[in-house]
Amino acid sequence: MRDISTPQTIDVSLRDVVKHYGPFQALKGVSLEVAKGETIVICGPSGSGKSTLIRCINQLETHDSGDIVVRGITVDGTPANTRDVRIEVGMVFQQFNLFPHITVLQNCTLALRLLNKGTKRLNEEKAMYYLERVRIAEQAHKYPAQLSGGQQQRVAIARALCMEPPVMLFDEPTSALDPEMINEVLQVMEDLARGGMTMICVTHEMGFARRVADRCVFMADGEIHEIAPAEAFFDAPESPRLRGFLDRILPSTAHS
Amino acid sequence: MPTSVDYSGYFQQMLGGVSITVQMLLWSFVISLAIGTVFGILRTGASGVVQIPLTIYISIMTGVPSLLILFIIYYGGSGVLTALLGYDRSFDVSPFSSGVAAIAMVNAAYVCDLVHGAIRNLPKGQFEACTVLGLPRFHAWRLILLPQVFRLALPGLVNIWIIILKETSLVSLVGLSDLVTVAKTAGGATSEPFVFLIVASFFYIAMSTLTVPLANRLERRLNRGQTPVGA
Ligand SMILES: Nc1ncnc2c1ncn2[C@@H]1O[C@H](COP(=O)(O)OP(=O)(O)OP(=O)(O)O)[C@@H](O)[C@H]1O
Ligand SMILES: [Mg+2]
Repeated sequence: MRDISTPQTIDVSLRDVVKHYGPFQALKGVSLEVAKGETIVICGPSGSGKSTLIRCINQLETHDSGDIVVRGITVDGTPANTRDVRIEVGMVFQQFNLFPHITVLQNCTLALRLLNKGTKRLNEEKAMYYLERVRIAEQAHKYPAQLSGGQQQRVAIARALCMEPPVMLFDEPTSALDPEMINEVLQVMEDLARGGMTMICVTHEMGFARRVADRCVFMADGEIHEIAPAEAFFDAPESPRLRGFLDRILPSTAHS
Repeated sequence: MPTSVDYSGYFQQMLGGVSITVQMLLWSFVISLAIGTVFGILRTGASGVVQIPLTIYISIMTGVPSLLILFIIYYGGSGVLTALLGYDRSFDVSPFSSGVAAIAMVNAAYVCDLVHGAIRNLPKGQFEACTVLGLPRFHAWRLILLPQVFRLALPGLVNIWIIILKETSLVSLVGLSDLVTVAKTAGGATSEPFVFLIVASFFYIAMSTLTVPLANRLERRLNRGQTPVGA
């Protein structure tokens, strides 16, 4: 979460970002600024462009127009900038996407090793440090398929953290999990947020959003309809579409 | 009537034939695997510049009989090499190398299809995870993607291995003394063709059978980490 006492630097800035898939316009001019240390939660109906938006930030999708700047690097599609941005940004997917044929520890050290970050011992120490932070160090020598979904997702978070990115993107990290495993992952994310990580999370976990998010973003039809601090977002939504959306996904007692 | 001493001389020759057949098998398989894998990766790329020649290559290699390709390389190869590399030297294309070239080129097309299919069956998330971690492309293929591709393609690759084993016998038609050639010659000389041809057949059967435990070992290795939860 953001420390309000320090002057605000912008880690991620999007201005009028437009993205088409063929003739279909998935993003219709989206603007958003994310401050260093801020936690943003993005929600909205299926197909509204949430994934597309965060995937443009690390260029898993290339945007058609508009400006994206990540920690001073303009995301313009040039190979050098794309590479630099991916060093700054870690990502966690709905389906974990761990590498199945190597151990948890190797999943975590692989990128360090290939990018010549340090000695084998230092890399393993770093990996173990982050595996401990996601509370799964004792499983380091297992293969991903030997772990539960929640454990796999925590490994995926640790794997991203090993590169020590200042910005983390989460695309529905708990949507593929059994209900009893959701909290262990949300808890890890909350710890990260409180530790000062800049985070953009697509999630429908509204309890997490209320507790952890500095601001919440509501998207529909490729546009941002509302951006508000978590409290106002849930208790006093302005746009009718957000009101309708919250009515549908929240238990009826949650807001009046 | 030949004595048993003569027979043992022929069986000695057959060992030489076995050695040639096995060498052809190994070279042809390794080369077709290497070329086919590279082509299979290129085939998944979007660039039309590569797709068109690749498509042509594959339709030729899968459409024309291997024997014809072998003849073209064996009888036409030295002319082509001389034209390409200069008239001041002469190039002989040996039966062995033209056999390896023909069989490897044909089977590279099949490996390409197999590898291409396996790549398309890999979860998209595996590629995306490599991308967002910033893994250098070559290493991502080498360490992450190809091991999974070969796991998926293994049954097909075992088939190709056995097909190549049998196709090596084509070189008997350009005068190389592989196992079939030797068996045929020995059979003719001793007027006992049946014995030698049956012995040769048993060798091919033994080689194919030997493939099974080898493939199983490889499969176990490639399946590392595939154990489901609780297993
Ligand atoms: N690769 C693609 N090709 C064509 N259309 C796509 C592609 N990816 C996404 N789309 C379309 O773009 C729109 C936005 O997709 P996106 O995945 O960003 O939505 P989302 O908000 O993340 O939805 P969900 O909650 O279902 O994940 C959808 O209508 C989707 O069908
Ligand atoms: Mg999505």
